[in-house]
Amino acid sequence: MPQFRMTGRGLWITVLIVPPLAFVALFIVYPIISAFAYAFFDWQGLKRLDFVGLENFHTVLFVEPYRSWTINAFKNNIIVFFALMVLQNGLGFILAYALWRELPGARFHRIAVFLPVVLSTIIVAYLFKLFYHPLFGVVNVTLKNIGLDWLAQPWLGQSSTALGSIIVAQAWHMVGFPTLVFLAGMQRIPSEILDAVRMETESEWVKITKVVWPLVAPSATIVFTLLFVGAFNWFELPYIMGGLDGSPFGSTDVLGLYFYRTAFGNVSSGQQDFGLGSALAVLIFIFIAVIAAVITTRLRAREIQL
Amino acid sequence: MGGSGRESNVAQLSLRGIKKRFRETAVLHGIDLEIGDREFVVFVGPSGCGKSTLLRLIAGLDPITEGEFVLNGTRMNDVAPSRRGIAMVFQSYALYPHMDVYENMAFGARLMGLTKAEVEARIAEAARMLRLEALLKRKPRELSGGQRQRVAIGRALVRKPDVFLLDEPLSNLDAALRSEVRLEIARLHREIGGTMIYVTHDQVEAMTLADKIVVMNNGRIEQVGSPRDLYETPANTFVATFIGSPRMALVDVTRDGDRLAVANGGAVVTGALPDATSLKLGLRPDAVQLHRGAGSEGLSAKVEYTEYLGDNAYVYARLADGTLLSARTTPNDLFAPDEAVTVTVTPGAAHYFSAEDGRRLNP
Repeated sequence: MPQFRMTGRGLWITVLIVPPLAFVALFIVYPIISAFAYAFFDWQGLKRLDFVGLENFHTVLFVEPYRSWTINAFKNNIIVFFALMVLQNGLGFILAYALWRELPGARFHRIAVFLPVVLSTIIVAYLFKLFYHPLFGVVNVTLKNIGLDWLAQPWLGQSSTALGSIIVAQAWHMVGFPTLVFLAGMQRIPSEILDAVRMETESEWVKITKVVWPLVAPSATIVFTLLFVGAFNWFELPYIMGGLDGSPFGSTDVLGLYFYRTAFGNVSSGQQDFGLGSALAVLIFIFIAVIAAVITTRLRAREIQL
Repeated sequence: MGGSGRESNVAQLSLRGIKKRFRETAVLHGIDLEIGDREFVVFVGPSGCGKSTLLRLIAGLDPITEGEFVLNGTRMNDVAPSRRGIAMVFQSYALYPHMDVYENMAFGARLMGLTKAEVEARIAEAARMLRLEALLKRKPRELSGGQRQRVAIGRALVRKPDVFLLDEPLSNLDAALRSEVRLEIARLHREIGGTMIYVTHDQVEAMTLADKIVVMNNGRIEQVGSPRDLYETPANTFVATFIGSPRMALVDVTRDGDRLAVANGGAVVTGALPDATSLKLGLRPDAVQLHRGAGSEGLSAKVEYTEYLGDNAYVYARLADGTLLSARTTPNDLFAPDEAVTVTVTPGAAHYFSAEDGRRLNP
């Protein structure tokens, strides 16, 4: 084993590495480990009671009403993930392709598409709450003005449309991000490869599916993985637009809200249970970590070195 | 493909008044050119002369601003690149990195709507001609430069196009491989007999490969002709100095009876002269002889340096008016730097150009 000597260089490296490592340990590693630990105890408010083993995990997964709540929130997260996969990543890919092909106005749209990403989530949430307002919202007013009165409805006020409406707001907010990542991926494709494809076909569909899509695989890995993590940690938009209870009737409830409610209590009932909350957090963490690892390795395998 | 395999594809290309502008910048100023069936045509010229642009217009990768491109009697200006019956080999090869060699060649062939058996047969044939059989399952990144180049040519071959376009296909290869692939391309052209248009800035490639060379400069065609035409009767000073290596020296001379005089540098007899008092004398290395010491008959010059090439040598000498001239000598005949020499010219071997516009003036 090489001996570690405190040379000038070694000192420099130590000085640069220790503070961020300490920061990560204190604010990321320590909370995760303590959440693990909390999940095995019974709690009364902030007071820790007895060690209960896997009891908390058992409760959130198998004991009513927690069981139904967990399943409902998890199901909604899955809907959010797949809907955003289409609305955010799918649309992002198409937008990136259009921007990349330098259609008229590409310079303007390149900025316009990314602008919402910069907006604060709070602002986006309130903006869309106003858009969806049943009486004065721009959505319903527009529908009435173009004669589609029958389509106007209380978007956020009924179970059938609430989650979808929030998903649309989320997609509008973040679509610029996958667009940007895909665009960067496309711009890395050498122009002669595109010329070579044009010599063989004029079908945009063939160009996209057989050449562009396989060659932007690294971008796809990034946006798929981040979307997966983001979708299962989703909190801000449903919190502001649907409320802490996932109103109406739990139709916008997601794991993030459910965890928060369970651990810290909600507005109406101050009931809080750190043990159950931590158990939920641990389950969410493990689920995301395992699936994200699988997605990443699977997608990495199909990436090509340009 | 392959001798009898090639159907009676005929390729007759006509470029009529082709102009190309990128926004405000005019790149081609009116190109008129006829290319016959089975010809090997090389576009040659310095970088930025518009030769690659012209090739891209023929391919259909860029739109033609003005003028007409006709292939076998059909106007092609608005026909998609994939429907022109033209295949292209790119400078960077442009292989699809995610497909293996077989797929790279099969991709375009399948898109033409060929049957599976036909695609396989064509790839087998191309792989045989290009010695790619052992590489069919490899990805492009696992191939050497020369192998990639052969795959790129194979990809063009399997489509059996009427016209092959090759854009500087050798420029990414090292010198040894370059002459090897050059021979390969010449052999391919003989075997498949298609019309080939080849772009290069290297006049040696142009001379060795072409049936017909198109010399371009500043978006215009300077001269079209066989390698021999261009070397022996260059139309102007640009072609004269561009073709041939080492390049032809151009000397400003004034006529003095049957002799041509250089400002304070003596005079020389070169044979029959054109009817002009002041002109440019073009001297290739094999048209001049060097004699040691200052002589009375000939141009006085001073040796700068000698390039020894084994079988012969080139001596570079500066004339009294500052023009650098090269002379081919035998390797035994080496001159020292700064040695004074006298230059004489083989009668009838010199070229004459107008002093005003550089046009050829030979009698």
